[in-house]
Amino acid sequence: MQNFGSNDDLDEKGHVMTEQPKIKVKFEPKPKPSACPICTVEYYQKFFDIEQRDVYMRVRCSLLSWKPEFQQCVAKNPDLWGPLWISTTIIFILFAGGNLSRFLLEEDKKHFQYEYNYMYVAVFLVYAMAFVIPIILGVIMKYILKSELGVFDIVCMYGYSLSVYIFVLILCIIPYNEAQWFFLMSGLANSTIFLLVNLWDFIKKSKPALMIAIPIIVFNVALILCFKFYFFRLIYAVDD
Amino acid sequence: MEFEAQENQGNNSIQGVINLDPQVNQVQAQQQEITIKQTDIQVSSTLEESVAVTLLRDLRQIGVKLRCVLVPTMSSNNAKELRNWDLWGPLIFCLMLALTLSMSGNNNDGTGIFATIFVLIWIGSFVVTLNAQLLGGKVSFFQSVCVLGYCVFPINLGALFTLIFSFFYLKMFLVIGCFLWSTYSAVGFMKLLIPEQKRILALYPVILFYLFLSWFALIV
Repeated sequence: MQNFGSNDDLDEKGHVMTEQPKIKVKFEPKPKPSACPICTVEYYQKFFDIEQRDVYMRVRCSLLSWKPEFQQCVAKNPDLWGPLWISTTIIFILFAGGNLSRFLLEEDKKHFQYEYNYMYVAVFLVYAMAFVIPIILGVIMKYILKSELGVFDIVCMYGYSLSVYIFVLILCIIPYNEAQWFFLMSGLANSTIFLLVNLWDFIKKSKPALMIAIPIIVFNVALILCFKFYFFRLIYAVDD
Repeated sequence: MEFEAQENQGNNSIQGVINLDPQVNQVQAQQQEITIKQTDIQVSSTLEESVAVTLLRDLRQIGVKLRCVLVPTMSSNNAKELRNWDLWGPLIFCLMLALTLSMSGNNNDGTGIFATIFVLIWIGSFVVTLNAQLLGGKVSFFQSVCVLGYCVFPINLGALFTLIFSFFYLKMFLVIGCFLWSTYSAVGFMKLLIPEQKRILALYPVILFYLFLSWFALIV
């Protein structure tokens, strides 16, 4: 604790006569950027710089999938709000709707057992489709195939391509086999056409770029097959 | 007060000298000493009281905050109360909800449900708050988690109703009412902190969060 002088050191005006303390202050420059910029929250803030009007336009672009307008809608401002909350909504619909569909078919309604595994499988499946696969494809496209689109552009596109499934999966609660296949097929068509049409400029450039279309189609088909055969499988009671 | 600065190119720093008026410093030092003494007195007095008194005081504070959060009259008193956030209330309601739902009769996976609800509430609150912050809302992280946790209380009531009543449409009506009450309170708090054009983007996750929990309360 520094001594700021005692009363004996006061002059006639009451000012302290001891030497004024000099405090040396060292100003550090701005803190160095952390070693892992992707790990900080600030890095992701620029992906949430959108308004509700923008989200509405992007969802509309994805539902009208045959028009290659998505890059214009995004306007160099890819967002992560859409992919995150569209996929979380789909998880809720799969969990609630899948069980509801089984409930409607069940004869013994009093002793219906809810299948909680639906939630864990839905979380794994939907987040893999919305984040893991586009990140892998985006990295391949950007670093191996030299596309101008960044990784987060691809993640944004994949996230909004799933928006059609929100409506499709609600309709799939209707427990009729043919109806479910019809809705899932139209959802598959819409989603795949959206991805291919918006990546067409990149795909048509070279043969390796054309190869990218194959995993896109394959993963979408695998997704709806999982939807149909795990969440909305219809097991009819067999009458003997 | 005097300030001189010199740039030190060697280690990229600036050295400065501040001359303080020692009289001012002395007064400030005295004031600091006084504040330390007051907090010393406060600390020693709460250490000496009985456990029952401490618990009752904490429970009363939880009750006061619960009333502030759930009776959504946005007065300035409410806002001041909510600034003293705590996580005991959310923990109690989360545990109550997880226990109620895992112990109800018609399921054989009690521990799985307990774990799911617990994880869902905490990770859900965390993600919803992070979303509001990333959208540029001026929301303090733990204050928001605190309010979201307190708004789980009506869903607790809904879960208790589903245990008591067995008529399905009555249960559905009560759970929907509790969901609307929770959502209205949470939305009332959050919407003040987000700019106008991004409001729905911040509030939709809140609605989804309580929808998930209400659905669990209804079906179990």
